[in-house]
Amino acid sequence: MFKPIWSIAANTFREIIRDRILYGIGVFALLLMGVSVALGSLSFAEQSRIAANFAITGVHLSVAVLSIFVGSTLVTKELEKKTIMTLLARPISRWQFLLGKALGLTMINVVVVFALSLVSLLVFVGLGVDPSARFLVSLYGVLLEGVVLMGLALFFSGFATPIVVSSCCVGLYLVGHWLDSLSYFFDKQSGELIYYVTTGMTYVLPNLERFNWRTLAIYPDPIPWKSVYASTFYGLTWFFFLVFATYLVIRRKDLG
Amino acid sequence: MAVVSVRDLKKSYRKGFIPKRTQVLTGLNFDIQPGVVTGFLGGNGAGKTTTMKCLLGLVFPDSGELTYFGQPGLTEAAKQKIGFLPERPYFYEHLTGIEFLRFYGQLSIKMSSAQIKQRSEDLLKRVDLWHAKDRLLREYSKGMLQKVGLAQALIHRPELVILDEPTSGLDPDGRYYLSELIRETASEGTAVFLSSHQLNDAERICEQLVILREGRLVFNGDASGFLDQMGVHHELVLSKGGERTVCRIDDSSEIQKRLKQVMDEGYEVLELNRQRVSLEEAFVRVGLRGEQNV
Repeated sequence: MFKPIWSIAANTFREIIRDRILYGIGVFALLLMGVSVALGSLSFAEQSRIAANFAITGVHLSVAVLSIFVGSTLVTKELEKKTIMTLLARPISRWQFLLGKALGLTMINVVVVFALSLVSLLVFVGLGVDPSARFLVSLYGVLLEGVVLMGLALFFSGFATPIVVSSCCVGLYLVGHWLDSLSYFFDKQSGELIYYVTTGMTYVLPNLERFNWRTLAIYPDPIPWKSVYASTFYGLTWFFFLVFATYLVIRRKDLG
Repeated sequence: MAVVSVRDLKKSYRKGFIPKRTQVLTGLNFDIQPGVVTGFLGGNGAGKTTTMKCLLGLVFPDSGELTYFGQPGLTEAAKQKIGFLPERPYFYEHLTGIEFLRFYGQLSIKMSSAQIKQRSEDLLKRVDLWHAKDRLLREYSKGMLQKVGLAQALIHRPELVILDEPTSGLDPDGRYYLSELIRETASEGTAVFLSSHQLNDAERICEQLVILREGRLVFNGDASGFLDQMGVHHELVLSKGGERTVCRIDDSSEIQKRLKQVMDEGYEVLELNRQRVSLEEAFVRVGLRGEQNV
């Protein structure tokens, strides 16, 4: 049951690596980190915080961009290039195909986070900053967010074009980060309807702020372990729910 | 036992802004036999590719009964015994030839890593692509892609291979080479079900024919029987005073009478040949014009 999933994941991983998509991401993240060093040098007291802030922002944006823009082509590219036909003519079910593609991109995200973290650590060492476990927790949050964004991209790509998929995902990315603020803002309004709509949105849309532990990389706050466990459950539930929903969409889809 | 039995297969699509149902397949019935090359012929839009996709579970039929290896429905076990080459080589261009075969070998489940490695190497040599094993597929020519595609379809030693237009777009050498490979595959006991517009190739390699016209089955049976049924005539090659003449005899019962007649007239009989229509001519008459339902 898992062998074909793994084979598809490995193939997806190889495809993304060889398509050189990562080069752009790498250059962007390295630039961001270079800027962090440059800006940090302007401020003696805040140098380490600025470096950490830029580093974690670089990793966060890289993973978000990869998850949305590469995630949006995971299924649509297979459908457009019709490579899915030779794949599904083999003893592979459509849910195995989806999980394999998702696992392949997750592996890419892990590699990106790992590589950029290494570069960040080198920057930290150069600046004389002691990296701590809190930095790892903030990276873990970035990965979890990437998994949910990829789930969203997979779901939309079951019935929409890559541009529509990317647009929807960018929109949900922004809303997902503003949900708490929206909820707080509309809570203060008197309109009952708006209150119910915003409350409903918090249930219907994934709240991406639940994975935001990026301040841990900057400030010496204690690690909120309960929140980490709950958000892990929350993120994985969203991911599997979205993969299942995508499966329902393509389960009986004619591949032409 | 038939490898695949198709009974009353129907499929329609909804098309257009205001969806209108279009019937693509109208109650098809045919069998695919082991060790036999079955040609699946029909004009553009006759429903060949849709039928193949129904057989592979890529398209879902409206109704009908599909039996694979004696069992109803396309199970995972049945899929393990089927290989497929699509009409155009829709392959992963980021893979090299050897990686491509290994990938599809891994997906076949029943093979170990050592078996996949050995089989990939054997097949690349067999399709004459060993020299290009480490080149990316995006650098392959159309002919090379068709060959590696066929190797992909055969990697797991399937009992049934479904080939959609395997020789389309190839030069004469490539077509001949691929046709020979298909014949070899069938001679090893594999059922081959292929669609083709190259009727010369089909005539050369297909023992059975299934012919569609606008989603309807117009012929299903033995290829040579089909050509015989479409009309046999005899050609008499004569000579008199150094001048060659060819006479056509449509009714075989007239042969003796005609021979006696020409010899009485002083002709020398050089040849008497039995002629039947080419598959191309028979196909045009049956498949396109609907001249005769056999």
